[in-house]
Amino acid sequence: MTKRSKLEIIRDILTIANKNHNSINITPLIRRSNMSSERFREYYQELLNKDFLREVNSERNKIVNLTEKGLRFLEKYKAIISFIEDFDL
Amino acid sequence: MVRGSGMAILEGIGRGRLGNLFGMGLGAELLYSFVIIMICLMIYYGTKELYDLSSYKGIKYFRRAFLFFGVAYFFRSFIKFAVLYFDLNNLVDFPETTFKFIGAIIQFLFIYFSSMAIFYLLYSVISKKLEGKSNKILIFHLIALILALISILTRNYLVYLGLNLLLLAIIGVVVYISYQNKIKKARRNNLYVIYILWSIFWVLNIIDALIPRFFMGFQLVIYLASTSVFLLILYKVLKNVGSS
Repeated sequence: MTKRSKLEIIRDILTIANKNHNSINITPLIRRSNMSSERFREYYQELLNKDFLREVNSERNKIVNLTEKGLRFLEKYKAIISFIEDFDL
Repeated sequence: MVRGSGMAILEGIGRGRLGNLFGMGLGAELLYSFVIIMICLMIYYGTKELYDLSSYKGIKYFRRAFLFFGVAYFFRSFIKFAVLYFDLNNLVDFPETTFKFIGAIIQFLFIYFSSMAIFYLLYSVISKKLEGKSNKILIFHLIALILALISILTRNYLVYLGLNLLLLAIIGVVVYISYQNKIKKARRNNLYVIYILWSIFWVLNIIDALIPRFFMGFQLVIYLASTSVFLLILYKVLKNVGSS
């Protein structure tokens, strides 16, 4: 199994939220991200800082919403990868 | 004595240079600089969203390369203007001390920004191999500053030539090594051919700016070729940026 790049991991996490109608509880997100919880926390914090994801604290649990910027990342993901490969960056 | 502006610019466009078919007047020089600066800015701003979304270091350095190219061409246009308009052999050959000092500053900035542009471009290709070692770029800044300092202190055209040929050799080695790695990964890409061509024409542009009459008669060919290479890179950028 090849190691995922940072951009692939970000895409995978955001895709999970996107497939769940852009809103998902934190626990299934961790489970489906296919990585250790410690590693997930690092990426999760980065995605919150970059405003790709937004936390909403409900009465029972924590819900994570995919933001406009996160959606934009998913839309532009192929273009980003294509650009990186084309210019060998 | 400084000539009047309107007629002087018209003469600069070519009326005063009929005997030199491929030479460039002032207006044509400024037009060429303007086109290149615009292309560089289009590349820089065209890739802004890709970098904002990805924060990918390679894209950052790639963008900076073209920003620095644009700034370098800006200072280059000053140099060409001064050399053509005041009929100088060298930017630091102004008769008055104040202009001589300003000329030296502009030349220093031109060499610094043009060197850093090439270094950033190289760094964008090799940065993934230097993960977590971003302070290496500081070394390139230091080299660029030293090159700029040497160019204004020596004022010797052989030194200019030597420095630029050295720069070209370094680029060639780095590009060759990166290309060899690409072949191992069995991916075909004409990018390295474009980069080599671009580097050659960039160095020719630097020599043309610093040694005014070195390419007498062949400037148009160099400028058209340089513009073509920049446009090719712009096309590759827009092809990716436009897709989603």
